[in-house]
Amino acid sequence: MIKSNTMLRGIHGLFILMLFSCSLFAQDEKELRPVSRTYAITNVNVVQAPGKKIDMATVLIKDGLIVSVGKGISIPADAVVIKADSMYLYAGFIDGLSRVGVARPKEDASRERVKDPGNPSPERAGITPQNDVRYSLNPADKSVEDLRNMGFTVSQVAPYGNLLPGQSSIVLLGGKSIDQMVLLSNSALYSELSGANNVYPNTTMAVMAKWRELYRQASQAKSYQSLYASNRNGLERPASDRVLEAFYPVIDQKMPVLFKSEKMLEAHRILKLKSDLGFALTLADLKEGWPIANKIKSSGAKVFLSLDLPEEIKKEDKKDDKKADKKADSTKSKEVAKPKTAADLEKEALEKRKAEAVANYTAQASAFAKAGVPFGFSTLSAKAKDIPANLRRMIGAGLSEDAALAALTTAPAQLLGLSDRMGTVEAGKMANLVISDKSYFNEKSKVRYVFVDGTMYKMDVKEEKKADPNAKVDIEGSWSTVTQTPQGSNDGKATFKKEGSGYKGTVSGGRLPSPVDMTSVTLEGNKLSYSYSLSFGGNSIKIDVEVTVEGDTFKGNASIGPRGSFSIEGTKNPKN
Amino acid sequence: MKKLITLFFSSLVLVSAMAQVDKGNMLIKNGTVITITKGNLEQTDVLIKDGKIAQIAKNIQAPAGVRVIDATGHFVMPGIIDAHSHIAIDGINEGTNPITPEVSEEDVINPFQIGIYRALGGGITTVHAMHGSANAIGGQCETIKLRYGTFDPEALKMEGAPRTIKFALGENPTRSHGEGSGIVPRTRMGVEFVIRQAFSEAKEYAEAWSKYNKNKLIKGFRGAPPAYSYRHEVLSDILNDKIIIHCHSYRADEIYMMLKVCKDFGIKRIVFQHVNEGFKVAPELAAQGAMASVFSDWWAYKFEVYYSTAYNAAILTRNGVVTSINSDDAEMMRHLYHEAGKTQKYGALTDEEALALITINPAKQLGIDNRVGSLEVGKEGDVVIFKNHPLSIYGVPMYTIVDGIVRFDREKDPDDMRLVVDPKQTIDNAMLRDKNSDLDHCMEGAEFILDSELFNDNKK
Repeated sequence: MIKSNTMLRGIHGLFILMLFSCSLFAQDEKELRPVSRTYAITNVNVVQAPGKKIDMATVLIKDGLIVSVGKGISIPADAVVIKADSMYLYAGFIDGLSRVGVARPKEDASRERVKDPGNPSPERAGITPQNDVRYSLNPADKSVEDLRNMGFTVSQVAPYGNLLPGQSSIVLLGGKSIDQMVLLSNSALYSELSGANNVYPNTTMAVMAKWRELYRQASQAKSYQSLYASNRNGLERPASDRVLEAFYPVIDQKMPVLFKSEKMLEAHRILKLKSDLGFALTLADLKEGWPIANKIKSSGAKVFLSLDLPEEIKKEDKKDDKKADKKADSTKSKEVAKPKTAADLEKEALEKRKAEAVANYTAQASAFAKAGVPFGFSTLSAKAKDIPANLRRMIGAGLSEDAALAALTTAPAQLLGLSDRMGTVEAGKMANLVISDKSYFNEKSKVRYVFVDGTMYKMDVKEEKKADPNAKVDIEGSWSTVTQTPQGSNDGKATFKKEGSGYKGTVSGGRLPSPVDMTSVTLEGNKLSYSYSLSFGGNSIKIDVEVTVEGDTFKGNASIGPRGSFSIEGTKNPKN
Repeated sequence: MKKLITLFFSSLVLVSAMAQVDKGNMLIKNGTVITITKGNLEQTDVLIKDGKIAQIAKNIQAPAGVRVIDATGHFVMPGIIDAHSHIAIDGINEGTNPITPEVSEEDVINPFQIGIYRALGGGITTVHAMHGSANAIGGQCETIKLRYGTFDPEALKMEGAPRTIKFALGENPTRSHGEGSGIVPRTRMGVEFVIRQAFSEAKEYAEAWSKYNKNKLIKGFRGAPPAYSYRHEVLSDILNDKIIIHCHSYRADEIYMMLKVCKDFGIKRIVFQHVNEGFKVAPELAAQGAMASVFSDWWAYKFEVYYSTAYNAAILTRNGVVTSINSDDAEMMRHLYHEAGKTQKYGALTDEEALALITINPAKQLGIDNRVGSLEVGKEGDVVIFKNHPLSIYGVPMYTIVDGIVRFDREKDPDDMRLVVDPKQTIDNAMLRDKNSDLDHCMEGAEFILDSELFNDNKK
């Protein structure tokens, strides 16, 4: 267990995007101020709120606010007019939990060896509830843009860490400075049920014990402080304690505890802490919550469901089997199609159950909707560009489009206490909007504009033109790759071989102990994409690489799960 | 004292809602009923109503709608109890500190572990899910009933069972902390020291609170309360006999040491676990009312367990020590009845004595003998139906019943009994292997502080 975890972290670390590589994103030309802060979006299908649509209407924005919505609105002379004919306009999406724009700690202090592992400093133990995520925000972080491109305008962001990393803020996905980004600071006390590396509290049971102890100590300290404040004469001075004081607003029910809780058992354990201690709770990034939807409902906890879904199981495997069978037939002509062995049948049964599990995860949101539990979504562990497809999968599994939209807009606004300023497209609300060329939930839909706090972001739809469909490139052979990682660059090798009309390939080098087969390779024009999976301790991580090939070099991005994307470059090795 | 502290926090502590536990009705017809406490009854029926044994007699009429199991030619005995196991929990050792009584396995019950179902296949109905042995004073353990099928971890708990806690003497704590981290305890003397120190601090803590609470009653009193410590709260509960100590131990000298520590601090409830040299101090154990939970014949996996004998259980029993045989292992757990049978070869225990080692005696050690461990009217409907006598090498559990509900039926035993499936888990040939089944896990979670090369075979 321990070994594989360390390995997992190592590999994850390997692929993390350099957060401070500003040079990558810096723009050479000076940015100009917008000509006007008044915008008129005309002829657009306005979805004001789930189920409430006005066709061919105009939305007028001025100084960061929605001024009017409807038909026959006169457009002021200073307005920038956006002709959004037949497009769809929604309230900007709101994300319940992420680490968008949050800088990852540079050095992993959590791995330092401690003299007495039973008594580490609070920092080493992961107990820093006094930390404020605002101090680690980076508005230039690419993750802000990535999530905004999907239509999100607001996110509740939490600091990195394990047990009690600090306090979250609700931020706008735009703005040039930290203060421009922050909408609401200290929105919740963020916590995870994960222990510290090799020091107390290391296990979940110790994390829970420590949680209870801290909470009770804070309650005690708080009541002694108020006793002292009422009459100081003859009383020992209460000591200052940053950790315990951070709990005071939680004890006063003025601040909720925001707990990451992916699995059902985690949720059970967190609900137990809530029932033992009585704090206001928000469960976030839930993935396996459907069996306990009613328990969550009766506990009064708020909930954000994860927008990450397990990969869909494709039925390609079967085709491959057939192909393999055919080959076997042709080589050993006497042998007829092999009967299924007990192992085959067992594998099929296991795959069937795995497919059922994937289906259950996909149907979680629908199950919560049916149970009447209000919920929003969180993007913490989701890959930004997978979000629209994942939403469509959830809708395919029984979630109504209205319910999906509510979970992106009105419900999170409600859950975060922001309904008075966002969540719907109504006069007086903040100008947080998303405009897509078709209904957002349509497979072919693309987000064209996002407004955050009245600032317009126009989506770059050119990207696709970059790929030259007619280009003829030869990828066959071996390529040396360089991936940018926080530890510096990481060298690897990718090898492609033509097979039938497609390609097959392997990846090797880096920290991979042995070459790994690519699960898919597609080449369209000069646009090459390939994927492969790495498995650790029974879990697998998928890595998707998308590059543009030019002659004997390629350039592009590799993305790994929720860890974001990092740049990769390749050079073709001369043939021996 | 504890009461007042509890009162102090009463505004914060809400009692968690009791879990829904399924209970069933059932009539087991015409078997040989091995009651354990009241002899064997031939061709007798056992009626379970609402999860409890309602009647044991011949020719009971089945109430309408009640499932009837024909046990003709079979043996009906109480569900087997394993007083030392590490199944159904996520996390075994909080191996970072030699003293961690505040952590509790009740917080990390995992009702989805396949090992629970497999244990049912061996006739087990109740398990003592224990913290590991890395620390001198480890974490609290949880007595669970194998209600496999529930999704609620709370529903696995044997509600109302006494609290228990793991202690450990000898090589495991000295290796973990002394050798691993370079702190006390490095020796057996050190183990005694950290335990005595913890108890002494707890006494001081309790005294400080009782003084504060007394003072608070005096009009005009102004002062600060002692700082709350979860650790010392639990230690005080041990000193007040509210928690039964289950102490991992092997050598006679350390067992005797721990008996003296208990005497000095007025602790009455202690069960020694493993106790390989228990046969050397059996009269001393009996005199102090201490109990022993042993292996039938497992030893020599490290230095401190070479001086061992398969006669241990018999010698302890004959000396009047309440003795049980445990597994400490998910595989051995499935044939504890074989393990009990070995005491007839080594020590010539009677059938009744041998079976008591895996039923009523472990129940006594867990403080649940008024509820389980024998077939008596009023006790809980935890029953195993054996084909052939359970002490015979041909004995096979056919049905395992918990609270009157069949949780294992050998005739209906599907291949894949997992309750939840991880959609990200890779499917390979080892898919159904329980990660907790192939090794013992007394030291799991504490490996990082050990020199792994030196300590590869970190058994019991």
